[in-house]
Amino acid sequence: MLYTPLSEADIFPCSDKEFSNRQCISYQGKQLYVEQLDDGSYQILQLLSTDPQDFMDAAYTPGTILR
Amino acid sequence: MNNDGTKKTDDTQEGQQNESSLVQKIQQLGQSTIPQASDSNIHVLSIIGQVEGHVQLPPQNKTTKYEHLLPQLIAVEQNPKIEGLIILLNTVGGDVEAGLALSEMLASLSKPTVSVVLGGGHSIGVPISVATTHSFIVPTATMTIHPIRLTGLVIGVPQTFEYMDKMQDRVINFVVNHSNIKEEKFKELMFAKGNLTRDIGTNIVGAQAVEYGLIDAVGGVKEAMEKLNSLIKENNDSNKQVIQ
Repeated sequence: MLYTPLSEADIFPCSDKEFSNRQCISYQGKQLYVEQLDDGSYQILQLLSTDPQDFMDAAYTPGTILR
Repeated sequence: MNNDGTKKTDDTQEGQQNESSLVQKIQQLGQSTIPQASDSNIHVLSIIGQVEGHVQLPPQNKTTKYEHLLPQLIAVEQNPKIEGLIILLNTVGGDVEAGLALSEMLASLSKPTVSVVLGGGHSIGVPISVATTHSFIVPTATMTIHPIRLTGLVIGVPQTFEYMDKMQDRVINFVVNHSNIKEEKFKELMFAKGNLTRDIGTNIVGAQAVEYGLIDAVGGVKEAMEKLNSLIKENNDSNKQVIQ
């Protein structure tokens, strides 16, 4: 039990691996923030776009696994 | 014979793949098709979670990275098809300099911008929300105004305090210059005691933000779109006059 006002991340810094799994890539002309999965494929975390229509495209839905 | 066999396997594989992508879509959105529309002249920029600046936050935090937004703002300014920008804010605050960078970028766009504070627009969310041409707040949204501080160890030397004090002045000046709130009132809210438990500052809700002159109006998506469309019209009309 820890009795401290600090956040958990301040006490137990997360490993670099968690950061290196995540990256910003360009896919079909769109900027995507993705996470590399254990099997080497990429999963979309976030679509970085200002065009609302891009968000209507199911191909860029967060959670989609890119092949 | 053999060829036919391979083709059949291919077909089944393809069928399975199509089916699995359909299943994936249903799992993600609860639907298989989404309506398509023509290009929009209004673009959207959402600032959600923490505003992430110089320090990378742990992956479990939801963050808006300012280095992702700055190029998008340039693209919005440069693309003639985009006539207006709407900013959706639901942030707990974050890096002061990253937030000020975003605010200055928004304030210096030539195209009309409208912000909507949803849920929360705390700390550095305040200058970002007032940076736009017109700002809205939904009735249930809150904004926390409090002094700037550092997390972790602060070496208690006067220089550290002076540096923080100057940084705070930058935030105050920006907010005062881009909204209708008076400097005295903003400082009063910032240093108020007893409003936040164990902390100095004030938490203001929806209509209160408008009353103090911080935000221009109470409203949601409908009001924001109406305002943005009228600003776009004004902007286009004044451009035409310049050409004549």
